[in-house]
Amino acid sequence: MKKVVTALMAAGALVALAACGGGSDNSSGDSGSTEKVTLKFQSLAFQKTTVAATKKIVADWNAANPNIQVEYVQGSWDSVHDQLVTQFQGGTAPDVIQDESADITGFANQGYLADLSQYLSQETKDAVPQGVWDTVSSDGKVFAAPTLLQSYVVFGNSALLKQAGVSATGDSLSWDQLQADAKKLTAGGKYGLGWGLKSPTATVLNLGMNFDAAFFEGTGRDAQVKIGDPELEVPKRINAMAYTDKSIDPTSLTQSGSDVLPGFFGGKYALIVGGNYAAQQIVEQAPKGFQWEVLPPLKGSSEKQAANPQTLSVPAEGKHIKESAQFIDFLMKAENLAAVGQGDWLIPTTQAARDAIQQATGGKNGWTQTLASGAELTKAPFQSVENYPKWKDQIATPALQEFLANKIDLVTLGKKLNDGWGQVNS
Amino acid sequence: MRTRPTTRALQYLAVLCYLVFLAFPLLWLISSSLKSPQEFASITPSFLPKHPDLSNFSDALEEQGLVRSMLNSLQISVATTVLVLVVSLPVAYALARFRSRLRPVTNGWILVSQVFPVILIVIPLFLILRPLHLTNTIPGVVIVYMVWSLPFALWMLQGYVAAVPRELEEAASVDGASRVRTIVSIVMPLLRPGLIATAMFTFISAWNEFFFALVLLQDPQLKTLPLVLARFVGAEGQVQFGPLAAASVLATVPSLVFFAFLQRRLTSGLLSGAVKG
Amino acid sequence: MSTATLTAAPEQAGGSKRPGRPKQNREAIFLFLPALLPVLLLSVYPLLRGIALGFTDARAGLNVDTNFIGFDNFAKLLHNELFWDSFRIGLIWTLSVTILQFVAALGLALLLNTNLKFRGVARTLALIPWAMPPVVVAIMWRLLLHPTNGPVNEILQSLHLTDHPINFLGDFSTALPAVIVVGVWVGMPMTTVTLLAGLQGIDRSLYEAAAVDGAGAWHQFWYITLPQLRTVIIAITSLDMIWNFNSFGLVYVLTAGGPGGKTMLPMLFAYNEAFRYGNFGMAAAMGDVMVVIIIVFLAFYLRSRLRSEA
Repeated sequence: MKKVVTALMAAGALVALAACGGGSDNSSGDSGSTEKVTLKFQSLAFQKTTVAATKKIVADWNAANPNIQVEYVQGSWDSVHDQLVTQFQGGTAPDVIQDESADITGFANQGYLADLSQYLSQETKDAVPQGVWDTVSSDGKVFAAPTLLQSYVVFGNSALLKQAGVSATGDSLSWDQLQADAKKLTAGGKYGLGWGLKSPTATVLNLGMNFDAAFFEGTGRDAQVKIGDPELEVPKRINAMAYTDKSIDPTSLTQSGSDVLPGFFGGKYALIVGGNYAAQQIVEQAPKGFQWEVLPPLKGSSEKQAANPQTLSVPAEGKHIKESAQFIDFLMKAENLAAVGQGDWLIPTTQAARDAIQQATGGKNGWTQTLASGAELTKAPFQSVENYPKWKDQIATPALQEFLANKIDLVTLGKKLNDGWGQVNS
Repeated sequence: MRTRPTTRALQYLAVLCYLVFLAFPLLWLISSSLKSPQEFASITPSFLPKHPDLSNFSDALEEQGLVRSMLNSLQISVATTVLVLVVSLPVAYALARFRSRLRPVTNGWILVSQVFPVILIVIPLFLILRPLHLTNTIPGVVIVYMVWSLPFALWMLQGYVAAVPRELEEAASVDGASRVRTIVSIVMPLLRPGLIATAMFTFISAWNEFFFALVLLQDPQLKTLPLVLARFVGAEGQVQFGPLAAASVLATVPSLVFFAFLQRRLTSGLLSGAVKG
Repeated sequence: MSTATLTAAPEQAGGSKRPGRPKQNREAIFLFLPALLPVLLLSVYPLLRGIALGFTDARAGLNVDTNFIGFDNFAKLLHNELFWDSFRIGLIWTLSVTILQFVAALGLALLLNTNLKFRGVARTLALIPWAMPPVVVAIMWRLLLHPTNGPVNEILQSLHLTDHPINFLGDFSTALPAVIVVGVWVGMPMTTVTLLAGLQGIDRSLYEAAAVDGAGAWHQFWYITLPQLRTVIIAITSLDMIWNFNSFGLVYVLTAGGPGGKTMLPMLFAYNEAFRYGNFGMAAAMGDVMVVIIIVFLAFYLRSRLRSEA
């Protein structure tokens, strides 16, 4: 019996030892004094170029501000939401948080994010247009600094376009024109357009703004869903192209945006529609000699699209909100924003940074069109609807997937989108 | 037992089919890790890379702390495995052999702990660990992994203990051996395959675990391998597949080596059992 | 059976039938001791809190009050068709994966337990799916099943099994079967190793005695292997069942519940409720419902299995 007791004691001691072993706390938490502070900056930079640019910005800042040191912490887009939920709940969120407007609306409503309106510099405030500030504010409070914007653009295989005699000039590309072009480019087992719409809701709602689709009226919990002709215009057109014109590959509608790229490179699709960040993947993955271009922005009754900027926020319980905001101001400087924007092929929120990119790239590789599309990005009604994420996941996405697979008709789609709201917003 | 040649041939064929199903994805992953992004996105997939090069591996290794994270994962997984075995064996023995009141309670806990969504436990867990200064430390993660691997280890091990013939033990106790001696010299050797299976499971679940690590570890120096791998996945389904494939190959190899080493023990368990039987 | 049965001490055998003998309890507690504190602190307590959460209106938010609301969450859940839909899908997924996994793994374990050449290599290779981190597994399968440049479609087309590429994960009719295949693939090594370890524990002399009596391979399998493996089989199938019911990471990356909700597993549903919409109380209530249903389910399964013991 003695032996077993010793063995147990040893095991117990091991556990106890392990329990005491970790005394080190994170360094940012406890320094309440005014001397030196260390901020944790959780960056979601993904492309190699952007990671390098972001790290350089942090290094520059650290060199210039010995008393406010910033520590770069790598996060990932894939897990940022879960991570933030637990970090907020446990009170250990990093000092500067990168995320996107659609994702932080919930956190802002839950009170987790600090109001930055009194901390950010006037310079930063003036640099970003009001329409973009609206996507990160409510009731006069500002919950984040918007950094980079994404729009949906049409990419074209230049060789195939030329072959079919499709010209892609002009200030805008109307939906009718897109439909006609796609038809013209469809021949011999090849499709005019490949469109990765595995997660269709964001695309349909964002591009719906082309036709003044609102989808919602009111804000917060009182919002009402509104489904009419403008709202159904985009899905209707996509469905018609896929199943009437047969100019969209129906298989592509069930794939993700990056999944359709091989088909684009291989000449299976002459055109693809995707977020402008896809340009970076095209540059990296396209076979040598592949010529591509960005077509002018899509236009319905307008060229408007919903703005869903990447954001930088500070937790409400953060201990160094002032210093964090100073660092955000620094990140928002034109040259810094331009550097990360160029790396991600996204549109900076400030005109100065856009000019810097235009200058640096000479507008090549579709940058002129990309930057131009940034001017039309504004807040959409769904962005301030509290139960929008739930409606999106449980109602809109499955219903749109069914409609795009041609399993239900337009009337049923409208009904599902409409009735589903009552189910999730109760 | 003698096996007829046709039966034997069929057996080989069956094993081959299994292996193609189970191993083909890894071979394809290895091949992909040697492909350039252009070849990767090619519309006609080729099984062998046309221009194999190692740039994906150098890219992967350049990634902040891949090697470091492998060491962290190794440390955590080994510590968890050892702790789980030490702690679970006596409990499993007691569960299988004694009709104690603790048995239904423990089995109830095992079931509930496996069924209840772990995501809802993370937050209370976090709040307990913080005052103990165990968040953001490797020992903290090890203890959490131990506690959460324990139910499985107990559930499996008691099955294996129950399969050890009681008579052997009783014979030993008739010979005057103490209970501890009986466990160590009679039960343990017979339990070897079961202990090894449990060790493999514990090791691999600690090696692969993502969510607890994500929440508990913030210091970049402490990140585990799955956390670093997740870095290659970007927004909206963009994946840097080449470096991810290379990093995954690097991540998979250690476990396979570990398995190759352990599975030999799985056989020797049989031999020693046969000698005693 | 072996002769050892005869030597069983009557006192011991009789005693073990009566529950809770004081001496055994004391001895058992000793063996439990090292596990007790960490388990109580880091598992039992969070679990109890988690379960209790289902009876509250806990929501994500800074300084939000949480109130006890009794069975309100459960009453609401009763009318949540989407939740029950996901349950139905979860049941199909759980049963298919568990059964296929078990049958496939048993076959493989039996093969690997014979004295084939290269079985050491084969055993290691059979563990491959296990050795891969889940993030990688899901992304890899997405690419394997890719309709444009995935090798699976390439192979099917070159064998003329299909004339046009299939988007397995995106098509309404193939999505659930496809994730089930991936689920079986991922879980097979675990089940195989467990069964193999069980097979290794079977006393060889039983087979030798049966062979002397002239029993064939099938007879030996049915009357020796299966009964001897019974406890291990029960343990691993019930665990597989629980895990498969609870798994969601894999499916989340593969399909995110799509297309059209065809692969929305209950765990995925509860996960979204907690982490995306911040309704911790409601999500915990879903967890409670799952616990109850699984336990009822398992109770039936275990009871009928264990009864065949008598």
